[in-house]
Amino acid sequence: MSKSAKGIVKGLALGLALACSLVSVSGAVAEELSLKGKRIGVSAIGTDHYWDLMAFRGIQDRVKELGGEVIALDAGRKDQQQIAQLQTLIAQKPDAIIEQLGNLEVLNPWLQKIRDAGIPLFTVDTATPHAINNTTSNNYNIGAEIALQMVADMGGKGNVLVFNGFYSVPVCKIRYDQLKYVLASFPEVKIVEPELRDVIPNTVQSAYSNITDMLTKSPEKGSIGAVWACWDVPQIGATQAVEAAGRMEVKTYGIDGSPEVIKMVMDQKSAAGAVAAQQPYEIGQTSVDNVAKHLAGQKVPPFTFVPAVLINKENAAETGKPFLAAAEKAGVK
Amino acid sequence: MSATTLHTEIGASDEKQAAAKNASRRLGTIVVRLGAIAAFAAIMLYFVVFAPGFTSTFNLINVVEQSAILGVLAYGMTMVIIGGGSDVTEGGIDLSIAANMGLCAAVYATLLSMGYGDFLAVLAALAVGMAIGALNALAVVGLGILPLLATLAVLNVAAGMELTLTQNTVVGATSPLLAFLVSGSFLGISALAWALVLVSAIMIAIVHYTSFGLRLFAVGGHPEAARAAGINVPFYISFTYVLSGFCAAVASILTVSRLSASTPGSGELLLSVLAAALLGTVFSRRFVPTIGGTLLSVLFIGLLANGFQLLNVSSYWVNGVQGALILLVVAVTSFARGSEASR
Repeated sequence: MSKSAKGIVKGLALGLALACSLVSVSGAVAEELSLKGKRIGVSAIGTDHYWDLMAFRGIQDRVKELGGEVIALDAGRKDQQQIAQLQTLIAQKPDAIIEQLGNLEVLNPWLQKIRDAGIPLFTVDTATPHAINNTTSNNYNIGAEIALQMVADMGGKGNVLVFNGFYSVPVCKIRYDQLKYVLASFPEVKIVEPELRDVIPNTVQSAYSNITDMLTKSPEKGSIGAVWACWDVPQIGATQAVEAAGRMEVKTYGIDGSPEVIKMVMDQKSAAGAVAAQQPYEIGQTSVDNVAKHLAGQKVPPFTFVPAVLINKENAAETGKPFLAAAEKAGVK
Repeated sequence: MSATTLHTEIGASDEKQAAAKNASRRLGTIVVRLGAIAAFAAIMLYFVVFAPGFTSTFNLINVVEQSAILGVLAYGMTMVIIGGGSDVTEGGIDLSIAANMGLCAAVYATLLSMGYGDFLAVLAALAVGMAIGALNALAVVGLGILPLLATLAVLNVAAGMELTLTQNTVVGATSPLLAFLVSGSFLGISALAWALVLVSAIMIAIVHYTSFGLRLFAVGGHPEAARAAGINVPFYISFTYVLSGFCAAVASILTVSRLSASTPGSGELLLSVLAAALLGTVFSRRFVPTIGGTLLSVLFIGLLANGFQLLNVSSYWVNGVQGALILLVVAVTSFARGSEASR
């Protein structure tokens, strides 16, 4: 055997060994990740929004894939109902509880009770000291990126209409704080006071009339440069309002990546400037993987970030596609 | 045969027919009522047998605790229905009660967060609740507007005021009273559960064991007769609306303690409150609202949600079942009223 042939064989052997070890590692992971015989409680504040529904589905599907039983509770946006569901859930003593979004102020005492009852608590998109792990997007990143995109599109100056109705929701707090942090470096970009309040339900209609009113109040072109919201449902109403008022110099910015908004950003004629698109279904699934790892005795970090993508006017045609494909696959338009 | 005898004979046969019709109808009413109660019992029995942990003391106390807020609100609604008569379209009804609770909770939590003490904040909440109740009374008794419409309008007033006050945000609140309601317990039963027991006892005493309660039933059952008997009918009806506002305020304090905050969306409770007050009537022989009946149906609604969760049935079913039950009860009561009217 020539030297080079030997080298090739050696290389092949090494490659094979590596491949084997990789397979065995992934095999081991797959083997370890099981929820057979486990009951996992899932509590969501509501599922009326695309993001919420996809994350909720991701959790349930993954628990079933791993052979577990899921107790799925949707509080229909009623705090009272979510608390009652959590209280009963604690009495049911599941092997773990995954909590998805809601008002932290309302939830925290009850999350504490979950821990006191010795039930491992995991959260989706909800940063709380009571959870073993919070699986979410990197909201610090998203918040800064969308704010920077907005500032860039505005040319570093102008007035911004900001929806700030959900500061008590942790992810909204982070995104809003990041917006403020970015704006601190651009003193010529100003938030119009008083800020606007986005609401649930009737989010789109309410945002539409809010923005219409504000544009009427500041009729000169250029007096308003952008609209910002910590999620993208108000962005839908805002975009429609801007277009209806014929004020195309105003661009709208939001976070989540509902298919409807991604389509708006892709449309070059739309006033939707950019949206940070998250992967809610994967976030839900990853959270369940973390539960399975924890129950198998593995160490789980306090937070897991699932990548998000900034979709703007320049890259939308490319970056928007996979998100729309995922939504279509899930049967959500 | 003279014309007069012919006339009496026809009259007699008419009466006989009517009597027979009445008897069968009354029988039908009893059957339907017992059927409704049997359905309740069957559902409970099913939970007892198949829902794991349903009968544990811990779980049952949980349900009582979860029912406290709904119970206090449903008592207010029950009083209004007793005083205004239980006709679903023209009788007494307070659609503003849940929104009123939201407003009172917002006032209470806002005052606490501004640094005022429990004493002042509780007083303010009670005053606001009763003021909204008085507004209802003014619209219904003073202006003679149909309660269904009057209280619908006041619902919007209360909801609007809450939004103005809180800007649709969550207002966190802490206070010694709230801490006591959250963590206090006596004989292993939590303060919130005790609150329901206490309020129930007081309401049963007032409504069913005083001459005041008796007169209230007279006012609702037959206002003209009550007036002829010298009862101040407008006062009694007004009183029920103010009391309903008072109940909303009491419930608001319980809500703030349970959620550690005032939150938007209290109006959502209205359907459950109505369901509880209307369902309660099947527990009375004459289909009138009673405090005991309302308590039973409040607990039933609580147990329904609880049992479904323990059985791992989707929570989406609870609303559907609740709606179906309202429909059933309204059908049953109008059936029963039909037999009373033709008597």
